Amino acid sequence: MKECARIRKLLSRYLDNELAKAHDFRVKKHLDSCLACRKELLELSRIKEMVLQQERKSLPQEYLVSRLWKRISQENDKREKVSWLTGMEELSRRLISIPVAAVALSIIFLFLCLRQPVSEYSLEEHILSGTQATAETALSLILKVQN
Amino acid sequence: MNADNYYIEEFLAGRSQGFDALVKKYQNNILNIVYSLIGQDRESEDIAQEVFLKVYHNLKSFRKQSQFSTWLYRITVNTTYDFLRRRKNLVSDDAALEAGSIVRGIPQEALLTKERDIMVRKALKSVPIKYRTTLVLKDVEGLSYAEISKVLSCSIGTVESRIYRARQFLKAELLRFGGELI
Repeated sequence: MKECARIRKLLSRYLDNELAKAHDFRVKKHLDSCLACRKELLELSRIKEMVLQQERKSLPQEYLVSRLWKRISQENDKREKVSWLTGMEELSRRLISIPVAAVALSIIFLFLCLRQPVSEYSLEEHILSGTQATAETALSLILKVQN
Repeated sequence: MNADNYYIEEFLAGRSQGFDALVKKYQNNILNIVYSLIGQDRESEDIAQEVFLKVYHNLKSFRKQSQFSTWLYRITVNTTYDFLRRRKNLVSDDAALEAGSIVRGIPQEALLTKERDIMVRKALKSVPIKYRTTLVLKDVEGLSYAEISKVLSCSIGTVESRIYRARQFLKAELLRFGGELI
């Protein structure tokens, strides 16, 4: 019985012609004298046959090739569209950023100009210095006089 | 240079005919492996397409240290496993099997064959996926144990034990369906 258990583990491989010669001979020898193991082998070979006899699917020659090329072309179109959109986004981001930066710089410049230290400088002193007044300095000096 | 390597060289040189030749050569093998593993017609075609798309995108990185077919079968098994993982719990296997096996207007003998096919497929479904894959590569695709061990990256001993166990599962399941089959 121990031999039967050992042989049964080899039967599947024996059926597939994958056993080394020595094992193959051992299995054959055992099968000659063991009805139960022969029955087991018959069942295994029937199962193998049933799997082998299953209906095989078959595709027309050009079917998958044409499906594949269609899909590959769709993928390429999608990739091109994505890269075009990404390019446009980048361009619009740059186009918007230039005027925004210009406006921001102008605001900063004006803010700095208005903060010039004119408070310690009187209108009389300015007239006496003989320098030309800019619009901002004139405006701030006049406002100071009025206050 | 074998035919597959020639087709690969053609494709890498920018000639699409090389890729077409590979698809035409292997499309039915891949389809039948997938169909035996999942038992669904339309999905099998979609998975076969997915497999060849992966081949198209990755052929440049294929190292010719192994055979192209080994690489292709490995992609097929992995893509099918991904599909099964995604589909898990979404579709009842039995329902899918029967939906793909409508048997109207078929002669009696063909009907019996069809019924036997459905039964075998159902029984195959009950076999754990790792054992099922090994058995399908052996009995459907006719690979040797050594080739299967390369595809599945396991030892020949593992291949042997998986095939043995797959057949034991199948036997038990077919006996449950109807003992007269054996």
